[in-house]
Amino acid sequence: MKFIIFAGTPGSGKTSVIKYVVQELKDNFKLFFAKFDCLQTLDNERIAKQYKIPTTKKLAGELCPDHYTALEIPKIIKENQDKDIIILETAGLCLRCSPYVKEGLGINVLDITSGDPSRYGPILTDADIVAISKGDLVSQAEREIFRAGVLKVNPETKIAEVNGLTGEGVIDIVKYIEKFSNIKSERLTLKHSMPSAVCGYCYGNKIIDEKETQKRYLAGKELKNLIPNLNCGKCGFKSCNEFIRAVLDGKAKRGQCPFIKK
Amino acid sequence: MNSKVKKITILPGVNKFGEKEHFERIDIKRGEVVTIVGYTGAGKSQLLYDLERLAQKDTKSKRKILINDKIPDKKLRFDPKKKLIASLGQSMNFFTDMPVKDFLQLHLESRGKKSRQGLIKEVIREANRITGEPISPKMNLLSLSGGQSRALMVSDIANISISPIILIDEIENAGIKKEEAIKILVEEGKIVLIVTHDPSLALNADKRIIIKNGGIVKISKTTLKEKGIACYLNWIENYELDIRKEIREGKEIKNVEIYCEPLKSKNKIKR
Repeated sequence: MKFIIFAGTPGSGKTSVIKYVVQELKDNFKLFFAKFDCLQTLDNERIAKQYKIPTTKKLAGELCPDHYTALEIPKIIKENQDKDIIILETAGLCLRCSPYVKEGLGINVLDITSGDPSRYGPILTDADIVAISKGDLVSQAEREIFRAGVLKVNPETKIAEVNGLTGEGVIDIVKYIEKFSNIKSERLTLKHSMPSAVCGYCYGNKIIDEKETQKRYLAGKELKNLIPNLNCGKCGFKSCNEFIRAVLDGKAKRGQCPFIKK
Repeated sequence: MNSKVKKITILPGVNKFGEKEHFERIDIKRGEVVTIVGYTGAGKSQLLYDLERLAQKDTKSKRKILINDKIPDKKLRFDPKKKLIASLGQSMNFFTDMPVKDFLQLHLESRGKKSRQGLIKEVIREANRITGEPISPKMNLLSLSGGQSRALMVSDIANISISPIILIDEIENAGIKKEEAIKILVEEGKIVLIVTHDPSLALNADKRIIIKNGGIVKISKTTLKEKGIACYLNWIENYELDIRKEIREGKEIKNVEIYCEPLKSKNKIKR
């Protein structure tokens, strides 16, 4: 099984590029497509309908989308052992993280009109392939300067110049995917660590105040020590963190967690 | 590098309906200017894209492009330091937020060239030859008008992206002095392909490629008579430009005086 992650800011053209990739690969490989988003998406349904491949959508909701993606990856791999290629799409939102894994192929779709490449973090600097989109909107000079800017922050990357509207250039990505090796085991490693989640805001505090944040943090930490942190979902929430937030917000009861220490 | 490219060859692909194009091969030699004509949406820009990418049956059209009868090295396709092709697309705007002179310097660096103040001045000077309102080195790229942006792109191609093959997409829409721009871009000993809707430009080239439904349907060699007609059309256009200038300067246009003299011989054609 090959594991491919597409990441990029909203509107960069990820889904358009993926559609052409799926179109090229679907006849020769068993594909699975997972779309990660924050609040809502219909992209997976559109792709399922258009190309007749199995898909899923994963909404991060209250969680950091990158943390959530990492939590869900093992489940997706486990459930799709019969597939040849898993394609995962995520916005990789805060730019502090990158969702790429060492064993997979990380592709950053980067809008050429989005400004100096040096302002992106690991989402660009850790990418195996940078797919530069919307190049038809700018002059050759700007294309070349942008390309040089990408190589400055990520000298090892391969570059594909793509057009999400016409699909031109996507064939280069398809060739890289075809040549890419399979993952050896289910154990994957993140290319880049996640930012620390250590304050009261991480437990859902909304009041901008040092004391309130501290209070919320301590309450969250106490509860975290009482639950197993398995993200088993038996409490009705996707993850333990969401459960903790709900309890602290008064929207859930401690007893909803069947494993909570008394 | 310039002297190494003797010719570029287009091998047939398919049109929008998947039917094979009816020609064996199109050879364009050093020093030739070829125009690409056809209705909007016919696939003219696609042909430019195939050429820019040096397509190897890996684009929609499935065309194959050879240089000096050989399949070109992959590196020639994208590495700006090795590129053989400079192209002026249809884009009319810049997106980079920086002064003109810094931008040009960055472009020189990305092409692996040493930046020279003299050259940057020359690029701006030449751009100002084809635009109405002059560009200054300290102006921000984002504040340039459509015409100024295009003029700078043209001058950049002629002076920084120096390449043996030049692709030009609809230069007439730019709001710049078309003839001057072509003069700057089209140098001796280059291969030039121009997508155009402009009759005088189309008839001025050595050959023209006619495109329909995504496929090349005909290749015409420009006749001597057609070249004469091109000059004549050009003369009318220039007359129109003179009137445009007078309107822009607030003058009242009192009468139009166009004297049509029949073309007699080549020597009589005035430009």
